[in-house]
Amino acid sequence: MIPSTGAPPGTRVRGSVVQLLAILAMTLTVPFSLRVMHGRSADTTSRLPYLPVFPGHRSQLFHAGRIPELQQMNPGAVVIGDSMAGTRIDERVLSKRSGVPVAPLLQAGSGPAFWYLALKNWVVASGIKPRVVFIFFRDTNLTDVMFRLDDQFRWSLDMVASDTEEELNDVVQSALDGPFYAVHQGVERLYHVDAARRTVEPMVSRAPARWIAGSAGQPRLLEHANQRFGLDHLRVMEAADMAADAGTDFAASVKQSVLPLMLREAQRGGFKLCLVRVQRRPVNGQPPVQSPALKKYVHDLREYVQAHGGILHDDTGDPAITLDMYEDGDHIARHARADYTRLFYERLRVLLRPALRVNGAPAAQ
Amino acid sequence: MIFHSLDFVLFFLVFTAIYWSLPHRPQNVFLFAGSYFFYGYVHLWFLILIATSTSIDYCAARGMEARPAHRRKFLWLSIVTNFGMLGFFKYFDFFVDNVAAALATMGLPWHQPTLRILLPVGISFYTFQAMSYTIDVYKGELHARRNLLDLATFVSFFPHLVAGPIQRASFLLPQVETPRRFSVDKATSGFGLICWGFFKKLVIADNVGVIANKVFALGDPTFPLLWSGVFAFAIQIYADFSAYTDIARGTSRWLGFELTENFDHPYLARTPADFWRRWNISLSSWFRDYVYIPLGGSKAGDAKWARNVMVTFLLSGLWHGASWNYVLWGAYHGVLLVLTRARRILKPAAPVPAGHRPVVAALIIMAQVAGMFALTLVGWLLFRETELSAIVRALTLSPFSAPADDRSTGLYLFVLTLLYSLPLWAQSIWVEWHRDESGVRHPAFIVPPGWPRAAVQGVACGLAFAAILLLRSRASLDFIYFQF
Repeated sequence: MIPSTGAPPGTRVRGSVVQLLAILAMTLTVPFSLRVMHGRSADTTSRLPYLPVFPGHRSQLFHAGRIPELQQMNPGAVVIGDSMAGTRIDERVLSKRSGVPVAPLLQAGSGPAFWYLALKNWVVASGIKPRVVFIFFRDTNLTDVMFRLDDQFRWSLDMVASDTEEELNDVVQSALDGPFYAVHQGVERLYHVDAARRTVEPMVSRAPARWIAGSAGQPRLLEHANQRFGLDHLRVMEAADMAADAGTDFAASVKQSVLPLMLREAQRGGFKLCLVRVQRRPVNGQPPVQSPALKKYVHDLREYVQAHGGILHDDTGDPAITLDMYEDGDHIARHARADYTRLFYERLRVLLRPALRVNGAPAAQ
Repeated sequence: MIFHSLDFVLFFLVFTAIYWSLPHRPQNVFLFAGSYFFYGYVHLWFLILIATSTSIDYCAARGMEARPAHRRKFLWLSIVTNFGMLGFFKYFDFFVDNVAAALATMGLPWHQPTLRILLPVGISFYTFQAMSYTIDVYKGELHARRNLLDLATFVSFFPHLVAGPIQRASFLLPQVETPRRFSVDKATSGFGLICWGFFKKLVIADNVGVIANKVFALGDPTFPLLWSGVFAFAIQIYADFSAYTDIARGTSRWLGFELTENFDHPYLARTPADFWRRWNISLSSWFRDYVYIPLGGSKAGDAKWARNVMVTFLLSGLWHGASWNYVLWGAYHGVLLVLTRARRILKPAAPVPAGHRPVVAALIIMAQVAGMFALTLVGWLLFRETELSAIVRALTLSPFSAPADDRSTGLYLFVLTLLYSLPLWAQSIWVEWHRDESGVRHPAFIVPPGWPRAAVQGVACGLAFAAILLLRSRASLDFIYFQF
């Protein structure tokens, strides 16, 4: 970047500096076109009613119908979670084994915010007294309130959220105060990126389908593509995602999580809360490698949960949960779902059928 | 620490500000400390390895000069230490697995020890870089350094520590030792490289990487799906690796350093030899200078030349990872080179017919580029697919047996990949267009220097930033070459 020749060296350097600053300024300015492009459609002033920390609208009302369903069913056990729970627990098998009705409150792609609200607004609000409520999670995501709380997954919260969720909003706000989210929020306020992404992303992914199959054939092509890469067609991968080291400082993350609220709700509802950490996909016939930081996290989590009246059950290292039970990633295959459920019952029967307790100490501890 | 993280952005801004406020010697101390902080950010024990490697190489080089009669012994000390650490951390489990498999086929079951060793990121890169120092000192092309700090800074220089490009001591070490001045021109061009690098990583590589990952996770891929996935992987690995290089070169310029280029638009190569002059240039030239030429290069007859090429490429394949598919990938490229030369010997190329030269020549070039790209794709299949049975299955798939829906889906994935990679292709074609017959590239900018060029760069960087905000993949993937 050399400015006009013939100028004295000092002037040239000054000119170059100004040009560099101009380039930096333009780099930050050009993305404002996103704001202009979507200025009309992006309503950034409205906030999610029950979580004012996020912009947006509520897309559906609270599913209040769940409450009478639970009251009518009066389950002895409740299972809350995402696909980790959904692919593992067959409620009919568990119900038959334990002799109590089992209520699954599952939502694919859900996270701890959903699980907490399902516990509070469905289970506790219904007034039922199950013997135990299970919440399934992987590694550290129980204490990561931001897990699946971004734009893509947030919609499912609508079905479990009441009109106001002040405590959850406070927890999310405290998590957002971290440097990453502060920057994200700052960028969002400057450029209105989320609104633009919602418009452009589908355009980019659908355009080639329209070019190939035409407007009429595009939905069928995309449907086939989604179906073709579904669980049924995936091979058994040699290694699932390794446990990440991020978020393994339990003491720091628990303060910004809904875990204390979950444990409090369990006490309020008068039932046992059992948090189930699923074993991730085994590698070479053994449980996946866990970093020392993750091991310490689980140790601290267990101590915390027990100190607050809950139970932590950890599948990791259970020799009966073998690689052939897995499908893709950390999901359990359909054919092994009943086997896993039976195993789950065997491991935690003292919680489901307290009368069977022999030595007094729950196995899960 | 990874480039595409807020941690790095903050680190780099603060680091650069302090760095330029210091005089040369304290600047080097700070650069060394910053590099060790960068490398030890996640796993502190990684620092023990790089410090050991550096110390041994320092002593070995000093020993070579102090006791010339024992030069060879000092070289072996360096080689055994460096390759010993690399071999242990990178290849131990691979070796044990293969011994166990071999014993099992002989009916000798063996309870193999599994150490589950965590591969320290970047060990392959800095080991090779450090080795270049001791080998050059041994050959008398470089004098041993007295200043351990300068050497340690050269080995650990953070912009390229984790994934290259591998720099020669003769190129980078003098830059460490010489006082540096902040250059606005360098910073400006470096900023352009950084923007382009982040765009390639976050918009192109990560988006097409999702396609490649999905296809390679299929248990029953058909021909169109498989090859659209291979195409996506080809784009991913180039965009990803060249992005790292660009960011490394860009950040280096902000610190007053210059790193060598690592890519020269490899997908427009016309022959296997041409491809290897353009792909991962720093590694290719390392193997050329320290393996291929010492073996005899091309001076010892065709048969020995073929042997040298195969040995070099097998080792190059193994360098990429402890898995047979990488060895196969290296062997494949070695065979391509040998066959190309054999063909040239047996059937020299006919001259282009006079009178039709420009058109015919252009068509021939396009056909050569397309042919070489197709051969490269076969190589990427071997590189990406870790199961040998799946490779065999993939290579025997028939293009005619796929259902119509799979053909449409494969085409869809191909076009989607092409769409994301358009800027990459456009840049390559643009640069190639401005290359003269001797292969020298001429400045691709047609915009006059000064304010017009600054305006164009500003808009281009702004568009890259906007595209990153708008189109960055939701799946944040690590740089592929971290694992090597």
